[in-house]
Amino acid sequence: MADATPRTFFSGASLVWNRQRVLWLIYVVNFVLAYFATRGTNERIAAILDHSLAADQLVHGFNLGAASSLAINPEFPFGGSVSASLLGATLFTIFTIFATGGILATYYSGQRLHAGGFFEACGHHFWRFVRLTIYLLIVLIPVFILGGIAHHVYDRIDKQSISPMPAVHFLEAAIVVLLLLPICIRVWFDMAQVIAVAEDERRMHRALRRAAALLRHNFFSLYWLYLRVSLIAWIVFAAGLHIWMTHLRPESILAPFLLSQFLIIFWQACRLWQRASECIWYREHQRAIAVSAPTYDPPPAISQEPLAAPTV
Amino acid sequence: MERPLPNRRQMRIGIVLALALTCVAEPAGSGQATPTRHAVPPAPIAARGAAKEQTLSTRVVAYQIDARLDTAKHTIAATETLRYKNLTGQPQKTFPFHLYLNAFQPQSTFMTEEHRDNPDIDWKPEHFGAITISHLEVTGVGDLTNEMRFIQPDDHNAADRTVMQIELPRAVPAGAEVEFKIAFNDKLPEVVARTGYLRDFYMVGQWFPKVGVWWKGAWNCHQFHNTTEFFADFGTFDVNVTLPQNEIVGAGGDLVASMNNSDGTKTLTFHSEDVHDFSWGASPSFTDVEDSWTGSAGTVKLHVLMSPGNLASAPRYIQVLKGTLALYDQWIGPYPYDRLTVIDPPHGGYQAGGMEYPTLITADTYWFMPKGALLPELVTQHEFGHQYWYGMVATNEFEEAWLDEGINSYMETKGMDALYGKYTSEFNFPFLQMGEDDSQRFSYLQKPDTDPITRFAWRFYDGDAYGAITYGKTATVLLTLEKIIGEETLRHALHTYFMRYRYTHPTGEDFIKTVEEVSGKDLRWYFDQAITGTQMLDYKILDAHSDALEWDQPEIAWKDAGHYRTYVTVQRKGDFVFPIDVKVTFDDKQSVTEHWDGGERWVRYVYDRKSQLVSAEIDPDHQVWLDRDLFNNSYIVKADSRATKKLSNILGFVSEWMAQLLAWLA
Repeated sequence: MADATPRTFFSGASLVWNRQRVLWLIYVVNFVLAYFATRGTNERIAAILDHSLAADQLVHGFNLGAASSLAINPEFPFGGSVSASLLGATLFTIFTIFATGGILATYYSGQRLHAGGFFEACGHHFWRFVRLTIYLLIVLIPVFILGGIAHHVYDRIDKQSISPMPAVHFLEAAIVVLLLLPICIRVWFDMAQVIAVAEDERRMHRALRRAAALLRHNFFSLYWLYLRVSLIAWIVFAAGLHIWMTHLRPESILAPFLLSQFLIIFWQACRLWQRASECIWYREHQRAIAVSAPTYDPPPAISQEPLAAPTV
Repeated sequence: MERPLPNRRQMRIGIVLALALTCVAEPAGSGQATPTRHAVPPAPIAARGAAKEQTLSTRVVAYQIDARLDTAKHTIAATETLRYKNLTGQPQKTFPFHLYLNAFQPQSTFMTEEHRDNPDIDWKPEHFGAITISHLEVTGVGDLTNEMRFIQPDDHNAADRTVMQIELPRAVPAGAEVEFKIAFNDKLPEVVARTGYLRDFYMVGQWFPKVGVWWKGAWNCHQFHNTTEFFADFGTFDVNVTLPQNEIVGAGGDLVASMNNSDGTKTLTFHSEDVHDFSWGASPSFTDVEDSWTGSAGTVKLHVLMSPGNLASAPRYIQVLKGTLALYDQWIGPYPYDRLTVIDPPHGGYQAGGMEYPTLITADTYWFMPKGALLPELVTQHEFGHQYWYGMVATNEFEEAWLDEGINSYMETKGMDALYGKYTSEFNFPFLQMGEDDSQRFSYLQKPDTDPITRFAWRFYDGDAYGAITYGKTATVLLTLEKIIGEETLRHALHTYFMRYRYTHPTGEDFIKTVEEVSGKDLRWYFDQAITGTQMLDYKILDAHSDALEWDQPEIAWKDAGHYRTYVTVQRKGDFVFPIDVKVTFDDKQSVTEHWDGGERWVRYVYDRKSQLVSAEIDPDHQVWLDRDLFNNSYIVKADSRATKKLSNILGFVSEWMAQLLAWLA
């Protein structure tokens, strides 16, 4: 049986590093969508600030009063920028659903896929993963309900307790649980996606069932595999924000930009790291079964024929 | 009143909570104050007034109240004796009384207005409160309980019972006294709109029948509205409060006696004079932090009653109180009372926070309050400032709320800026700053032009408009007034206004006349627009550029021997006419400052020079805070995109990260 050994963990990181083009593809799409989502707002901000001496308050430090005035400036449609960003985020999510098939095929095969093979895998699995996303939203409903119940209980404790601390401690515990629970669901669905790609499973409910069985028998190794990467992502993200807010000069432009983009790339890399680790783990798991079984019928192989199209 | 307007408060809370995730809370107990857990000790009765023959105020009323708090039922059973001295100059037969607690009844005017402004507010049965008079008699006349009738002078809402009127069979002659004996019962609401209980905490304010004020030749006794506050006459208060022995009490009076009763209760006796209200708060969970401050009128004992979980904020309360006492003592006038009590409401009790009563204020904090978020300081300073404008000057808060809340908000900007820095007096983090001046201006810009400042409080478009205009706009109007008469002159005017009108009930006209008198300037043109008008002030650099003067002779090398014609066009976009300065700077480092009276819609300045334009700026000293849009007040020829890039980076990062979070579902 496979285990979330340090080897799997580091192999995942190594795989992400060795298949960097996947990371850069995701990053570029994310960046371009964000750029277009904020471009209109940026142009309006530029029209207001670039020739105004009052903009200085936002250069040397960050005067919340000036920023607030800007936000309610009749010429600055702040609401529009939020909806554009939401649209950009939605498009990126759709793209991620699309790209997941190619990403998993790349990581599972362990070999470099050409662009044709990558996008073929993307298209091949797209509608399957759309269905999985719908299932995921349904499965998350109880988590939201649980969140509502936790909020209700928090309110009740807060209202009844003389000190605010019991409610605060409950909230801390509830947040931990409410963060760990969706991770559990995410690992389940991640494994279903890996199975769908590795086994070319068309029926997503069957993939989910098999993933559930896998998770049941290997819960801690799979969960820990995912969680420790998440912890690394959050710690680096928090540290990066801290550095941004407290150590970078308010006037500097390039350093915050580079830092912010590093944080985004690192965040994305961590997500891919989880994907890669899961693929490796599953591959090892299948090998272990094959070794122990007298006969072995290999799963349908993913096309690894070199194509003429540019590589990704 | 609770200073934070709904929108400002929400904004601040949101920011504080967000910032709390990234900041470190101030360590507890770093001040010199000593936390103890016992009842507030007795203080000498009217320490400074003992030897004086003249009272500070003209004492119209003398209340004696015996109250018993039932902590199981959250009720107060009380008797009140009110001696009213008829100084109206004419016989009086009719006497109106405020019954404020009846505002918390369904269909009351207060509730109706609350629902109009906030239809989604969830009013639960425990939020309802009431005051019931079971007996009323007039000494020498007899029982008049059946003669009471509710009146609704503001809106004729028959369901509103916040004003009761009694008509005596015979008039009280001018200069004579009349004595009312009233038995009443309070049902306290779960804390709402400044009053009520929460778990073991009680904030008891506006809790007894209070007679109206004879003002401008008539009784002034308005109903309680969702935006209005209070107005009452000065006098003395002798109050006995009976409650369980474990309760720690803070009150707007000197504790002169404390007696334990055999039934497990105790009776505390308070005395207060030259004030117009009496309130108190109690909780067995309070920690009493004591300190003192000495000013020009003597020593003031400070009692800060901290709720559980909030003790870390006590040194911050004490520090800002001492600083503010010193500033007011220096700028405005002496604080004449020997005590000041601060009640820190428990968590969830913010409805009781940020409120002022004579010599007692309620503050506001959270268990986790980053040092850079100056909310506890800001609220405490604001509520303390009310001791002067609401407490001593005592203007009519129903009709001219700006004289209290607005002037107080202006003083808050001055006080907070002096203590914590002009640009850091509200938020002071390495990555984010905000000063009180900006904060007040932002508040004003939320709803800047729906109503004039002088509108009666309950006639504003809604609660947000009342808040934005009464607090934020008035403060901004006074900040802008500094440009016309100077900061020192305005401070001197406020000092004069306070010293002249304390313990009276002055009007807006009194205030304006005082400012004109002290400054020696006719300011009607300004106040007519800023106070009684709704005009918006907005100036803009419409156009600014330099042209080559010899534009038709291309053979001339402009850079070497060029002459330029520079045009600067300034536009008055709003209807508010205000004289402004325009500073025009050229690339030879020379600058010209023009003065424009703003009379026309626009003005164009033309310069023929060897240098080209660098920038044009309206109000280069940044004193016209009323200007709606400060970004269009200047124009620099060479674009500086650093601010845009900075904001773009933040927006792009947030957008990218939002996409990452959403894509977690994929």
